[in-house]
Amino acid sequence: MAATTSLGPRALLASLRVTILQFLADPQWIIGSAAAPVVFALAAFEIYRFSSPELVLFAILGGGMMSMWAQTLYGSGWAIGQDRFLGTLEPTLGAPVDYIWVVGGRVIWNTVSGLLGGAVVVGVVALAYGRPLPIHDPLLFTLLFVLVMLALSTVGLLFTAIFVYSRYAGFVQNIGEFTFYVITGCMFPILILPSWTRPFSLAFPATWALEALRAATFTPYQGLSWGVQGDLLGTLVLSLAYIVVSIGLYRRVVHYLSDTGGGSSDDY
Amino acid sequence: MTTSPAETGRMKLRPSFWRNFWSNAIFAPRTSLSFMRFDFIVGQIFVLSFTQMLFFAYVAALAQNATTPVSYVVVGNAVATMTYATVFAVCGTTDSEKSSGTMEHLLVSPANRIALYLGRGLVPLLVALATVSVSLTYAVYVFHAPFPASAVLPAIVSLVLTVVAMVGFGLLLAGVALWLRSSNQLANIFLFIGFVLAGANFPLSYLPVSLQWAGELLPLTWGIAALRASLAGAPTSTLLFLWGMTGLEAVVAYAAALGLWQVFERRAARTGSIVRF
Repeated sequence: MAATTSLGPRALLASLRVTILQFLADPQWIIGSAAAPVVFALAAFEIYRFSSPELVLFAILGGGMMSMWAQTLYGSGWAIGQDRFLGTLEPTLGAPVDYIWVVGGRVIWNTVSGLLGGAVVVGVVALAYGRPLPIHDPLLFTLLFVLVMLALSTVGLLFTAIFVYSRYAGFVQNIGEFTFYVITGCMFPILILPSWTRPFSLAFPATWALEALRAATFTPYQGLSWGVQGDLLGTLVLSLAYIVVSIGLYRRVVHYLSDTGGGSSDDY
Repeated sequence: MTTSPAETGRMKLRPSFWRNFWSNAIFAPRTSLSFMRFDFIVGQIFVLSFTQMLFFAYVAALAQNATTPVSYVVVGNAVATMTYATVFAVCGTTDSEKSSGTMEHLLVSPANRIALYLGRGLVPLLVALATVSVSLTYAVYVFHAPFPASAVLPAIVSLVLTVVAMVGFGLLLAGVALWLRSSNQLANIFLFIGFVLAGANFPLSYLPVSLQWAGELLPLTWGIAALRASLAGAPTSTLLFLWGMTGLEAVVAYAAALGLWQVFERRAARTGSIVRF
């Protein structure tokens, strides 16, 4: 047991290293997660540009977040799906280390590459804007942007575990993409959505982080009534809850796969 | 004029055009188009189309821009939803052939290529028509886009022409993908590029002139313009021009797709380098 625990960080680093090397060997895959957000952000930017500079920021920030969302959804779905598809799930589960360490390395890289993709989207739209962005505190903006990404990665962690139980991971990734964009208010404040959708929006830590970012750096911005501190607290609490639930789920996933043998499958 | 026994034998070996067409139309959904699962198709027709329109409707509502009202963007997106079935799916058949190891057999097959490609495009064409029909229903009944009764016939002509042209465009990309290691990224890029260059969400005049020209090379651009003109009750001469441009793009796309396949087939026979993924 002690040996298993001490192997964990090594397994995490090894998984991270291999994931990075695989990405560098074939970096075209970032196109998939960045192409759509760049395009959607440019489309929103063109619609917003004649309205106000603050709305341009919505397009820029929203595009970055969409890219991270795409990376989170697709990357996390694939974090376990790849083992099922390639037939490496059995030996990986048989290794003397908790599976979450292996998946953790992949999720960390998804987070980083999502951030890279987000930065690309922000760069492209900012370039199209052709003027200095109306950001009053660039440092705070950057810090909160990273917070949005971290909040998103906890969602990815949870989705990765949930997707094991379902044959519809691909369906959720492909068909549910816009639903997440709408619910989390990527390109517009969630206040303009019908009030019955609010619980769904607030169930995602990324929504809180995004609200914090907008409330702290956009002027003027009509955000949620509890203000930036409340948004940050919500982000923290929900992110931690997602992590705790994910860890519990991973343990169940390993048992589930051992019990049912529902591991390797093309239909992931 | 007499036919030699060898020629007669070759002719018997070659399946008829329609047999080839229907074989591909029926079997492609289970083979090269097998990634178009039933749940994906249903989700694409009923869910994805709606959420995509909803997303841009909220963007337009927040912007309150007089030239891009909600009704403008939902109609544009209703037409653009066809790209999932036409461009992405059709382009993806090349990868399917390569990864399942059937590309070699296809290349040595005596099957008529036109029948083969047209047949393969039939199911995506029907799915695209269903998607755009449901999307337009959402546009009218959920987002309250105007749709006068007099526009029904011109709208049907516009949509059918656009779907046919877009399948041709997807086949063209599938031809280009023969030369690439993977069609996935190409399909991804062209799946979404129409959202910016085709005028789905804002007038092309917002873009720099070079991008406007690029947009005019896409059949989706003319298809969206034709549908908007149909809904606006544009004169017949305008509609004929837009339909003509959509039809022209369709003809060019199918011809270029067949040309590309011929070029890459010859190259494959010479170098054996086509079956890579």
